[in-house]
Amino acid sequence: MSNTIAVALAVARKDLRAEWRTRELVPALAQFVVLALVIANFGFQIDSRNAPMIAPGVLWMALVFAGLVAFGRTFAAEREQASLEAMLMTPASPVAIFAGKALAATLLLVGCEAVLLPALTLFFGTPLSVPIIAAVLLATIGMAALGCLFAAMVARVRARELLLPLLTLPLWIPFIVAGGQAVQVAMGASGTYDQALALLIDFDILFVVLTSLAARFVLDE
Amino acid sequence: MNKYEKGALGAVALMLLAAGAIFFFAPTDALQGPVQRIFYLHVSSAIAAYGCFAVVLLGGAIYLRNESLAADRLARAGAVVGLVFTTVCLVMGMLWAKPIWGTFWTWDARLTSTLVLWIIYAGYLLVRRLAEPGRQAARFAAVVGIFGFVDVPVVHFSVTWWRTVHPGPIIVNDALPPEMLATFFFTMACTLVLAAVMIAIRYRLEMLADGPVTAAAIHAQVVSAPREPEPVP
Repeated sequence: MSNTIAVALAVARKDLRAEWRTRELVPALAQFVVLALVIANFGFQIDSRNAPMIAPGVLWMALVFAGLVAFGRTFAAEREQASLEAMLMTPASPVAIFAGKALAATLLLVGCEAVLLPALTLFFGTPLSVPIIAAVLLATIGMAALGCLFAAMVARVRARELLLPLLTLPLWIPFIVAGGQAVQVAMGASGTYDQALALLIDFDILFVVLTSLAARFVLDE
Repeated sequence: MNKYEKGALGAVALMLLAAGAIFFFAPTDALQGPVQRIFYLHVSSAIAAYGCFAVVLLGGAIYLRNESLAADRLARAGAVVGLVFTTVCLVMGMLWAKPIWGTFWTWDARLTSTLVLWIIYAGYLLVRRLAEPGRQAARFAAVVGIFGFVDVPVVHFSVTWWRTVHPGPIIVNDALPPEMLATFFFTMACTLVLAAVMIAIRYRLEMLADGPVTAAAIHAQVVSAPREPEPVP
């Protein structure tokens, strides 16, 4: 068990170091989410009155598509250099390798959120509060688990850019529903925040357990 | 005439009988009029679709355990047939909703989760097509099938706090007159027979498409096959 955690942390550290040295993904994602806000502004004709209504939707749209790009990239680099096979040949368990890659991808997406949430506050005038951050972070955990599982799968398949959103988006819907509800309430809409947050935690547990069970079949192929 | 043709003929005959019961035996609904007759096939095909996807789940789980080719073929057959019944259910529901609700579509919990169900299993068939045939396609599809089956109740549950307009479970609530109930159960039984026959025929087709191979042969082929070279950009 401690060995599994050590391997996962080592893989995550490797991925984060690779990102730190190239500094490719997080700046690109940050630019992407800011661009998404600009596009939303033109698409929705945002002003001070309708901004609180539209902002939660824009937040989740930007996050979902940034997540797709981020998780797609995690396994793309491994595929280009065929380094995943090398990692799988070591005695490390596939589940530990998967957990490490998912952890690194989660942290990279959190880095992107660290740009998205302040930018949303800046451009849309919505509050930046602990409840909003908590909901987004909780949703990120489950989305990352699912996103990385299917990214690992499509990395070995033709038309991978096409297939990743088709497989991942339907499975992300529960997180977007619950997370969307939580953020809407946190931004002033009526409803119950606690229920949405409890659901997010339930979904996180369910999908993290399921993906860790399935990871072996996807990676060890 | 082989047993598949006999089965198909029998299933079609049963469906015609069900149509007779729906149009001539069941009474016309006092409030909704003849439109209510959509209900019988609509609910039956939803149940048949869930049954088919349960077959996909089961086949996938068995395949992941022991790499049984038969289980994988069963899962493939179930996905195609289930998708057909989900389409029937969605289209008939929309036809019913237009006169009754005044709109073809509303983002109700049940409608949303059925649409997601459709999208997930369409993705399942896409994975089958795009992955390398054999062990990889079977494994990946099994994982998608299992996640899809888990996700649908979760989606349904997560959207139920929205106001729901879909009619509730009238069958368990004993709200139907006996003729309607009899028609419904007869239609459901016929639809399930139809689904089973379709799965059996599809299974046979998949078996013919696979050719005379054994699981060991497929495994050896995958293990020894050279890696496909990456296209140079």
